[in-house]
Amino acid sequence: MDLLNNLFIKPFQDMVSAPDFLMQVIWEGLVSGVLYALIALGFVLIYKSSRIFNFAQGIMVVFAALTLVGLHERGVPALLAVPLTLLVMFILAAAIERIVLRPLVNQPDIILFMATIGITLFLIGFGELIFGGENKVMITEDLMIPTGSYVFEPFGGFVLIEQKDLTAVVGAILLVLVLLLFLNRSKMGRAIRALGDDHQAALSVGISLSTIWVLVWFIAGIIALATGIVWGARAGVSFALEVIAFKALPVLMLGGLESVTGAIVGGLAIGVLEKLFEIYWGQPLLGGNTETWFAFVFALIVLLFRPQGLFGEKIIERV
Amino acid sequence: MNRHIDPGSMRTDDGIEKGGLLLQVDNISLSFGGVKAITDVSFDIRKGEIRAIIGPNGAGKTSMLNVINGFYHPQEGTITFRGERRDQMKPHQAVGQGIARTFQNVALFSGMSTLDNIMAGRAVMMKKNIVWQLLWHGPALNEEIQHRARVEQIIDFLEIQHIRRVAVGKLPYGLQKRVELGRALAMEPSLLLLDEPMAGMNLEEKEDMCRFILDVNQQFGTTIALIEHDMGVVMDLSDRVMVLDYGKKIADGTPDDVRGNQDVIDAYLGVPH
Amino acid sequence: MPTTGSDAGRQPVTFPQYLLYNARRFANRPATRHKNLGIWQSWTWKEQCDEIRAFSIGLQELGIGEGDKVAIIGTNRPRLYWTFCAAQALKAIPVPVYADAVAEEMAYVLNHADVRLAVVQDQEQVDKILSFSDDIPVLKDVIYDETRGLRDYDHTHLHGFDSIQDKGRAAMAADPTRAEAWDYGINASDGDEVSVYLYTSGTTGRSKGVVLKANASVKAACDTAAFDHLSENDNVLAYLPLAWAGDHYLNYAQGYVSGLCMACPESPETVQHDLREIGPTFYFAPPRVFEQLLTRVMIRMEDAGRLKQWVFKHYLDVAKKYGEAILERRSVPIGGRLSYWLGDKLVYGPLKNTLGFSNIRTAYTAGEAIGPDLFSFFRALGINLKQLYGQTEAFLYVTAQKDGEIRADTVGKAVPDVEIRISDDGEVLFKSPGMFIGYYADDEKTRETFTDDGFIKTGDAGIFDSHGDLKIIDRAKDVGKLRNGSLFAPKYIENKLKFFPNIKEAVAFGDQQDFCTVMLNIDLAAVGNWAERNNISYASYQELAGMPAVYEMMREHVDQVNRDLAGEDMMAGSQIARFLVLHKELDADDGELTRTQKVRRGFIADRYGPLIQALYDGSSEKHVETEVTFEDGRKGSISATVRIKDMQTRTNADATMEAAE
Repeated sequence: MDLLNNLFIKPFQDMVSAPDFLMQVIWEGLVSGVLYALIALGFVLIYKSSRIFNFAQGIMVVFAALTLVGLHERGVPALLAVPLTLLVMFILAAAIERIVLRPLVNQPDIILFMATIGITLFLIGFGELIFGGENKVMITEDLMIPTGSYVFEPFGGFVLIEQKDLTAVVGAILLVLVLLLFLNRSKMGRAIRALGDDHQAALSVGISLSTIWVLVWFIAGIIALATGIVWGARAGVSFALEVIAFKALPVLMLGGLESVTGAIVGGLAIGVLEKLFEIYWGQPLLGGNTETWFAFVFALIVLLFRPQGLFGEKIIERV
Repeated sequence: MNRHIDPGSMRTDDGIEKGGLLLQVDNISLSFGGVKAITDVSFDIRKGEIRAIIGPNGAGKTSMLNVINGFYHPQEGTITFRGERRDQMKPHQAVGQGIARTFQNVALFSGMSTLDNIMAGRAVMMKKNIVWQLLWHGPALNEEIQHRARVEQIIDFLEIQHIRRVAVGKLPYGLQKRVELGRALAMEPSLLLLDEPMAGMNLEEKEDMCRFILDVNQQFGTTIALIEHDMGVVMDLSDRVMVLDYGKKIADGTPDDVRGNQDVIDAYLGVPH
Repeated sequence: MPTTGSDAGRQPVTFPQYLLYNARRFANRPATRHKNLGIWQSWTWKEQCDEIRAFSIGLQELGIGEGDKVAIIGTNRPRLYWTFCAAQALKAIPVPVYADAVAEEMAYVLNHADVRLAVVQDQEQVDKILSFSDDIPVLKDVIYDETRGLRDYDHTHLHGFDSIQDKGRAAMAADPTRAEAWDYGINASDGDEVSVYLYTSGTTGRSKGVVLKANASVKAACDTAAFDHLSENDNVLAYLPLAWAGDHYLNYAQGYVSGLCMACPESPETVQHDLREIGPTFYFAPPRVFEQLLTRVMIRMEDAGRLKQWVFKHYLDVAKKYGEAILERRSVPIGGRLSYWLGDKLVYGPLKNTLGFSNIRTAYTAGEAIGPDLFSFFRALGINLKQLYGQTEAFLYVTAQKDGEIRADTVGKAVPDVEIRISDDGEVLFKSPGMFIGYYADDEKTRETFTDDGFIKTGDAGIFDSHGDLKIIDRAKDVGKLRNGSLFAPKYIENKLKFFPNIKEAVAFGDQQDFCTVMLNIDLAAVGNWAERNNISYASYQELAGMPAVYEMMREHVDQVNRDLAGEDMMAGSQIARFLVLHKELDADDGELTRTQKVRRGFIADRYGPLIQALYDGSSEKHVETEVTFEDGRKGSISATVRIKDMQTRTNADATMEAAE
């Protein structure tokens, strides 16, 4: 009885009795969720246009953040370091297309997946070689990201919102909006979707494979930089950042590998749910630290009922 | 208001007189790791004609089409298109030069609607600035509307209004082929390559497709090169026919010439070489 | 000053007079819409009048004048509808012809009607006409609507619709009095001229040209438009064959007198979609269309999720219980009203929307008997579906159901100004304001059709029921007798069978025989779906039709009909003793059905003679070979061994027992 009470009644009583705290928890969840969604988007874009599961997405986040901080350390002003980092990400994208992808065209998917593992290992080595292996601090202030906080007092309690979190959320939303506009309206964006649908057909309407590949890897690079800045501001810049890429996996399982909406909704949902679970169930019942595994378990349960994910495209084929 | 279609508005114009040389293929040879797919084949395609390439299975017909549109690069020989000799070229460059094609096993964006598929054929021609595209406004919107109008003419022409909004993956095969033809037409090509347009169709669908091919040729003045396995249909359709067998050209001429050619008869009956 | 027409301040008496009248009173209201290149184009009455005037004067330039016959061939397209009026304005006579008629049938009509000019839709029709035009010397010119494929044709006697309109406009520009003279000519008419020849599809033999007069047609259209309160605010979608009297009446005649807006579909395949976009307020469809709609809805629901199915079934029951009562403004308990309201939000509303029935004020069905369940289904959804009984010769209504007086098995009472009588041998006779003056060039048939006192024989056997409503039983000449003297009304039996969704067609035999037998056609959509659900695979209609499980299903249906018949005094004697399921679908291309999908009994009796013989000689199966025509016109043949089943006849007790259950 007690267990049932703790599982199904008490948590909700707690939520209702301290609504301000509940709001704080949801906000924290949303902030992480936005980041998960961003990373998942990077995966989805590359998968959609080339059927490659990009293992290197995580290291690209680290590499982008390292480059930004590294350039700054070498005396480049922060606001110049950002475009320079973008340029580096573009060169990286072009190099990957030329050196790795182009020679491997028409190889099985698994080969390409292995190739992205290669890219990961290369970037780890290359990054350490140039920027060194020690932890760095994100240049938050130099990027003019505010660091204060707002306090609200709803229901007689209080909710604290850090300005850098708010900036991260607003920035991420803008980035996603521009990306969606780009994908849905521009010629290039449509080409990306077309390529994801059918290679041969895309080629035959005059879409250039290499251009699109450079483009999506570059977009993935931009997303990596944004993620790197935001996450770096919270947790510092180190190779350990790479693991947050794994946070995107349950999001992808939930949202489907091909759905942009799925990545966004899935990311937000997992961010919020894992926080709620941690606070109201994890800590009192399981001693906490559930955030490391909750998302995976949740995604697995969802997959049991919907194998194509929540937003996966169910393709009906007729022979 | 333009209530009725003016088919003339869709005629392609590439500065070549009807009957002039559009494409010339000289001494092409293509091999894959020692296996010869095409051996020393030369032929030409003239502006405004329907040119058929026929031959038994494995004769190298599709390889020839792939060479023309840049999927394959021949080891020997030259290709001259619209008077320009061309070097190694990628498929999207071929599209840019006005060569459109369809595939033996339809290659469509199966998740998209008929309309979007055909619109995709117009993508090459969208020229407006990316900023306008994102804003969905001004010149880009006008451009979109113009392209849509063209696409609607094609939909009307191919009589596929009823499937305008249907995802092509759900359509029966015959209609998919028609949508694919529509997408190729949307590119307003000066040369249209059709890879077995009638494969896998029943008699009625074949007749429909024949009518569409003839109408495309007549109304839009499009030059068409098509591959067919089935001799019968092609003979009624084409102005000139080239026959390939084991990667070699064994006959070339009007349908009547070809029909009476002993080599062709042997090839189709499977007389051993 | 003209002596008649609206210019003279009188009621118009011809359709062109209505055109001029509408161009003034409804100048800026839409008259016609047409979806072209994905966009609905529309013409106001004024614009339409200008288009028609230009075309009509162009026709004059071609030498068309009073009494010339103008064939109109194609699908529902604005320009073809305009041709009617353009011809009538010159006192020329439009003759619409079924667009799907094969060259031979078309040649017959064009020849018989002495057609001087044909206005057609496209290359397909031009080709057909060119194939026989040498045999019809009177036929001089052909005008086409769609240019496609006709570019390289010889254009000496072939003209584009545009080019004729250009000729007309040029003539008006050259001589400013031309337009005025055209208007004057229209208004000068007293309406006594012939307005149109409508060729009947011909259930038996060659088609006949029904000659109608302008003023009579206008009068009839005004009567029924008033009966159903049609106005310029109404919308219709013209989708039935243009050559059919019903389409001509509902869309052209009623359209001109009421000023409503007629929409033409983008193509015959998009009708369902266009219907949804237009949302007509007035709709007509033969029962088979309603049947197809119902079948489609049911099949879609069977594929839906369980919750959806449950909601659908539940609210369908609610609709069955209260729907018709609410539609007819009878009293309904408040709980019922509430359930129905909820059902409307959840089920009926969305369903009507997908079917394109959201705005329907009045819907009619006619041509065949409609199944009571089918009829109630649509009424229960809140669609005011009614039945009418009409004839081309009557132009068009003879009876129609009045709002609130609806019964599934009757066709209602005589519409205003129509007189009905039943002859001694049971045939329905009528006199109507729009009635025809005779068959063109066929005095003998005309004489046969009129009674001495000027009534028209319908050829249908009917009775008045206790409410005074007319009930049609069968074609008068088809009603026969079994050898034991019992009445045999084949259509009556066939209809009872066809009301089962699994049965598509039925043909009954029994006149001058010992007992009654039937041939059945299964409904491939319904039975096919049933087979799919039960994991029964089949490769063809023939295979499915021959399956024992299907035969068992049919046996149950036939037994049910026998029980029904047993309960009716007049019909109990003609219960079905034996039946078979035909190995091919009856098809208009094979001549087994008319173009309006009616069974051609005599033809079938000849064609399947051996099978009929087998039905009566007691054999349990029969091998037959049948010639078929494919869609492309090729001929082939199919052979099959058809099995024949015996049935048990029922007594009145069986019928009552069932009623008590």
